[in-house]
Amino acid sequence: MTGLGTPIQGVTLYSFTRAFHGREYDLEGLIRKVAAEGYGPGLEVIGFSSFRGFPVIEDSFAGWFRDLVDEVGLVTTSLAVNADIGIHRDRLLTQDELIEYMTLQIKAAAKLGFPIARVQISIEPDSMEALAPIAEDHGVTLALEVHADQYASHPRILALRDRFEKVGSPFLGFTMDWGATVSGFAPSLIEAYRRRGASEELLSKVVDLWDTYYEQGPPADQAQHGQRFGSFIGLAAQNGRPDLGIDFGINGTGLFGPARVDDWLEIMPWIRHVHGKFFGIDENGEEPSVPVRDLIRLLVESGYSGAISSEYEGWHWNYWQSPFEIIAGEQAVQRSAAADAGSRMITDAAEARSILNAHLAQPVRG
Amino acid sequence: MIPDRIIEQGTLTTAGPRTAVEVRLPWYRALPGSCIAGAKLSVDGVEAPAESLRWSMNGREFGFEELVDETGEWWFPTDSAVLSGEVQASAGDDHEVRVDLTLYIPYIIISDTETLHIEEHDTKTMKAVAG
Repeated sequence: MTGLGTPIQGVTLYSFTRAFHGREYDLEGLIRKVAAEGYGPGLEVIGFSSFRGFPVIEDSFAGWFRDLVDEVGLVTTSLAVNADIGIHRDRLLTQDELIEYMTLQIKAAAKLGFPIARVQISIEPDSMEALAPIAEDHGVTLALEVHADQYASHPRILALRDRFEKVGSPFLGFTMDWGATVSGFAPSLIEAYRRRGASEELLSKVVDLWDTYYEQGPPADQAQHGQRFGSFIGLAAQNGRPDLGIDFGINGTGLFGPARVDDWLEIMPWIRHVHGKFFGIDENGEEPSVPVRDLIRLLVESGYSGAISSEYEGWHWNYWQSPFEIIAGEQAVQRSAAADAGSRMITDAAEARSILNAHLAQPVRG
Repeated sequence: MIPDRIIEQGTLTTAGPRTAVEVRLPWYRALPGSCIAGAKLSVDGVEAPAESLRWSMNGREFGFEELVDETGEWWFPTDSAVLSGEVQASAGDDHEVRVDLTLYIPYIIISDTETLHIEEHDTKTMKAVAG
């Protein structure tokens, strides 16, 4: 790619899960708030979170949704869809069944006006290849999410990348999730454990264990991933808090991925969408455990002009701070980092629409 | 995960031998009935027998064995379901209610054959109302 990228600012409604789940805002109220408070223009939605009856979308509902998005001046970016391969209790879906399951959701994305569908790792290279013509028919780019405990140079991701290259469809690519390249155990989660009575000694051991894995780099394979997961459980048990073990393991391995930022270069030309995953903002206005500034610089210098959905994940444990202020804080860091890299974030809806169209239409190797 | 929201405050009702409480999904996205793998309902430390438990959502009532194959009805994150069972709760009095839930997360696969499941529980004290 040539030239500096101009990423599009945006947000996923997932960031506001606590407010939506708590019935503080309904879908319309949340969309209006996103627009009014300037978290857009990019708007990402999780189908199974926000749309009752998904993936069935009635014509009247789709019309209402598209009119609302237009009225408030937002730009639909990605519809996050799910590869529910474990939907039956007794067996996993076959890949043929999964293709059928995903096709319904791709059609829903098109109907609702989303140019991208975020898909997930259970879809194998053969199935992504089989879905490419379906995606093309509906004008929806499939962006498979690279999420901890995977990372860009993970063998499964490289196998997908190689298949995308072979197929050569502009409708196949990746969603980059910043949680794969985290630089520390989130301090807000440490605070949440403190509030659950975990000792300072145990908390410092959790941080040290994660730091050890950061030094070693991401797990080479599933066996090593499992070993690390188990070590968090063991640490909790040895320190008298076995009840926290699974939580340490899930977060320590599945939310805070320890790959380095430049690992993304392995798949950069295929990155069609970004989840600006983060966990909190500190007293200096910075994200203390996600290298947001380095990630923005990498994207800008790589010529990335797609959308970045700010994805606040601290809501899981942080019940004592407003997500709205935290997300505004992270977006300020993104804008500042883009300026430091000699570019800017796109915040105007019309400009965002035209840049996103160009980003998705260009050849992957463009 | 938001387990502290599982039990809806002020929704305990009792009718004859049965007691019911409204419950919320402690997860961010809708799950089908097939992923609601089990529940327990206790009042003042007494657990309702498993075979007496019933689950109501979207206007339909299920036994847990009927939910196993149910991929048509989904539990939406802002909807309340109703869990009921045979356990006593005297109307007009405060009771400690505990609900345990086991949920499968259908897109998180932890081995070649196994889907992640989560076990969450919540305890709240509230007055029972005659239903």
